[in-house]
Amino acid sequence: MTASALPQILATGLLMGLIYALIAAGLSLIFGLMDVVNFAHGEFLMLAMYATFGFAVFAHLDPVLSLPLVAAVMFIVGASVYAGVVRHAMRSKVNTGMVQIFSTFGLATLIQGGAQFFFTPDFRNVDHTWLSAKTLDLGGIFLPWSQIFGGLISLVAFGGLYLMMTRTDFGRALEATREDKGAVALVGIDSNRVFALGWGLGAALVGVAGAVLATSYAIHPQVGAGFATIAYITVALGGFGSVFGALVAGIVVGLVEALTANTLPPAMKSMGIYALYLVVIFLRPQGLFGKL
Amino acid sequence: MKRRQALIGIAGTVALNGAFTQALAQKGEVVIGVIYPLTGSSAQVGVDSKHAIDTALEIINTASTLDLPGAKNAGLAGLGNAKVRVVYADHQGDPQKGRSEAERLITQENVCTIVGAFHSAVSATVSATCERYEVPYLCADSSSPSLSRRGLKYFFRTSAHDEMFSEAMFDFMDAMKSKGKPIGSVGIFYEDTIFGTDSSAVQRKLANERGYKIACDIKYRANSPSLSAEAQQIKTANPDVLLPSSYTSDAILLTNAMASIGYKPKNLVTQAAGYIEKPTLESVGDKLQGMISRASFSADMGDKRPSAKAVNDMFKARAGRDLNDQTSRVFTAMMVLAEAIDRAKSVEPKKIREALVATDIPGEKTIMPWKRVKFDATGQNTFASPVLIQFKAGKFSTVFPFEVATATPVWPMNP
Amino acid sequence: MSIPSSPAAVSPSSTPSLAGVTRHRRRQLIEAVVVFALIALLPLLVKNAYLRNVIVLTLMYAALAQSWNILGGYCGQISLGHALYFGVGAYAVSKLYVSYGVLPWFGMLAGGGLAVLLALALGYGTFRLKGHYFSIATLVIAEMGLLIVHNWDWLGGATGIQWPFGPDSWATLQFARDKTPYIFFALGLLVVTWLLTFFIEGSKWGYWWRAVKDHPEAAESLGVTVFRSKMAAAALSAFFTAIGGGFYAAFVSYVDPDSVMHFRFSLLMVLPVVLGGIGTLWGPILGAAILVPLSEFTRSYVGGSGGGLDLMLYGGLVMAVALLKPEGLIKLFARKTRIREAAR
Repeated sequence: MTASALPQILATGLLMGLIYALIAAGLSLIFGLMDVVNFAHGEFLMLAMYATFGFAVFAHLDPVLSLPLVAAVMFIVGASVYAGVVRHAMRSKVNTGMVQIFSTFGLATLIQGGAQFFFTPDFRNVDHTWLSAKTLDLGGIFLPWSQIFGGLISLVAFGGLYLMMTRTDFGRALEATREDKGAVALVGIDSNRVFALGWGLGAALVGVAGAVLATSYAIHPQVGAGFATIAYITVALGGFGSVFGALVAGIVVGLVEALTANTLPPAMKSMGIYALYLVVIFLRPQGLFGKL
Repeated sequence: MKRRQALIGIAGTVALNGAFTQALAQKGEVVIGVIYPLTGSSAQVGVDSKHAIDTALEIINTASTLDLPGAKNAGLAGLGNAKVRVVYADHQGDPQKGRSEAERLITQENVCTIVGAFHSAVSATVSATCERYEVPYLCADSSSPSLSRRGLKYFFRTSAHDEMFSEAMFDFMDAMKSKGKPIGSVGIFYEDTIFGTDSSAVQRKLANERGYKIACDIKYRANSPSLSAEAQQIKTANPDVLLPSSYTSDAILLTNAMASIGYKPKNLVTQAAGYIEKPTLESVGDKLQGMISRASFSADMGDKRPSAKAVNDMFKARAGRDLNDQTSRVFTAMMVLAEAIDRAKSVEPKKIREALVATDIPGEKTIMPWKRVKFDATGQNTFASPVLIQFKAGKFSTVFPFEVATATPVWPMNP
Repeated sequence: MSIPSSPAAVSPSSTPSLAGVTRHRRRQLIEAVVVFALIALLPLLVKNAYLRNVIVLTLMYAALAQSWNILGGYCGQISLGHALYFGVGAYAVSKLYVSYGVLPWFGMLAGGGLAVLLALALGYGTFRLKGHYFSIATLVIAEMGLLIVHNWDWLGGATGIQWPFGPDSWATLQFARDKTPYIFFALGLLVVTWLLTFFIEGSKWGYWWRAVKDHPEAAESLGVTVFRSKMAAAALSAFFTAIGGGFYAAFVSYVDPDSVMHFRFSLLMVLPVVLGGIGTLWGPILGAAILVPLSEFTRSYVGGSGGGLDLMLYGGLVMAVALLKPEGLIKLFARKTRIREAAR
């Protein structure tokens, strides 16, 4: 690693980190709301990428334009998954945590099989988007436009989340439901509705991430798995229940990964992320911004 | 009706040829097991291989005029026109599953041979199982050299292995050098799987033997979410020839990552795999103009051999894409096997093995650019001479060896 | 290499030896004798190599799930990284046998010992973590292990280790076609893990661990050393998981990083436990008896189409059971037993 390459490495790592944060945002939101780790998160991302592909093929929409539509589609998916699966999992009196993990794990396998069945295992691409293969050259630092777009969308999404959490009734209801499910029922908030909306919102965020990724990644039934692992680590690193922890953690993960790839053999670059997680957790068992 | 006729035919041959296994006598068919990853991350390969096998079955089981062994009549003449039936099994890329599926095919489905398996790790366990049950294993497309070096009696491989492929690449570079093209350094870039490590080991060895400097030697994690750091390192090393061994999603990712940092490799000579897959060429083909890949097959074979074109058309009707390096090898393995069973006039695994040992098919009777199909003592077809193909204007043409070339190579790819 | 003394050696608990408890435990032992005897008779009934293969895998995963249950079910530490210990066992046995000619039996002990050391070292750092932080940490550590093995040429790197062909023998655990010896070995491992769990259930350890699981703060105040309980459970769990891994290596005669250390294995040890009933004596065995044949049969008879139907079926069933029977399928039996009891 030479000093001259450092700016490029850091810039690339930062953009990638923002995208990791965006992928993790939905996972973090859902967890913070109700202590459920959604093991089908990677599959949500995969569905979002297929949705983007579908809009591109059948409606000739560029991912930049179809992004809100994909988010809407995923909102419905998320809310339906809550209503159809998670709601029942939450009701179980015993082993609640395990039931949630395995109902969403089963769902993940089901979605993967379904994707292979309906979409075939073929690799798909959203070709010739406005962003793919275009690069911004900042005096020798090259930044792909698709990643710049992803990074900006990520910042906008987190900004929107912040405003929603602090300025809207829905956000306050979310926050209140998170604090005390029993108490909100007394003041007339239907926690089921709040949860369904929360799941919808979490999935919509994944939808946004999927639309962004579809501009530069091949789409296939297993595409979500690799991103999901990073997303779980990102959420835990930022601290469960802290959506903004996920933003910081995502950026840190992106930077650490880029630096590791240039010091260790690239095949080992995930080692940097793993070691970072263990070190942080050893020093702060609740993650960077989590509450114990 | 057809079945009855087949049965009558069989009955006749039984009378002539003596004993048969029950399966054949009852059903009038030859059962072959085919093991591929039909689900999981390499499912695409498995599904395409299935199309290739089905194309071969169509040619074997119906009468056609193609100039291929076994095409002429419907079914296998040596077995009274018995039809070939295939039982597919899914190994999901897992050696243990491959092994248990092989056992199931042999003990439950009574297959007389097994064809497979794409992943070298799975071919390792499947061939070991076949050896234990004394059933021939025809390895169509796993390219790890070590597979044919374990002293197995029932292992046969129709196509080249990585050493043969990589040697062709270096022969080509030597030839370009003697034509006055400056090639001083190579860059090795490979995924951390059996495929990648085997392929890179041979390339490293050959580079050292033949005096090429290794400008970079990068192992990366397969299916990585990002390859930008790796692309950066290749750019810094800037080798005269980049030699990647990667599958589809990584090939696309790396090509995009190199383009996004404004880097055009001087030359690309690839270990096929993801670089010749349709999705790669569709999405980043514009950045791969002039790429050279090793191959067992190229579409321009059809210009020279009508049978290759006809087979390609049949395959395309099923799969919606052209035959490529991998599917053509699967197809050919099936054809070679059918020819051997036909000669064995039996579905006894031992007799089929003997017939495979005696196989000698001239190259013109296959769709491949090979000299012939003939197995050495280790079961390797040493005549499976690879070719190099170059991607230009949306199609591949053969550029090496020069005697079979249909075009002159464009070199360097990106001046 | 210190292997903790078997809990069988721990003096019988000073629990209130209510006649009911003793009777219940005696009945469980009789049930176990009957069930395991029936399993031992299976090879006489099932002659088909494919089905015997499924039996071997079922018994092996039952034993692994039983081992995972010691830490996850009784001590409440949800590990998603047991593939690490499985891989350590598989690689120890393979490397020692293929490179140095050490018989797999000794290799398993070495692998088990190594896994215990690892579990204690890792437990030291991770047992302070709560809930999901702990689970993710175990997952991360297992992934690190996978990466290290992947890039370690001494262990064959990505190529893995191929066992040489040899004559059939119990010494090397190599049997070319005969699956019966493997059935008996896997059954033996299952019996040992079951007995271990059975003794834990009735011993002081078991009570401590359950206290740790249900009320860690209260347990601490009662003087139960939570940390040491967790360490003991982790060591036992890791030891038997590694033995299982060593057995698997001998059974397949081939190891490579992805085929013994992939995250999938961590899940395959947890799933049967959850399905059958976490923290129960028979749950892991019941779960494995359902899940393993299901995944084998769906792949063999549905997967050949390549359409992904097998995954849909498998995933759908896991989801349905998790939702419909959250306490585990074993409760179906429990209710029947209770009804029987009442009827007497």
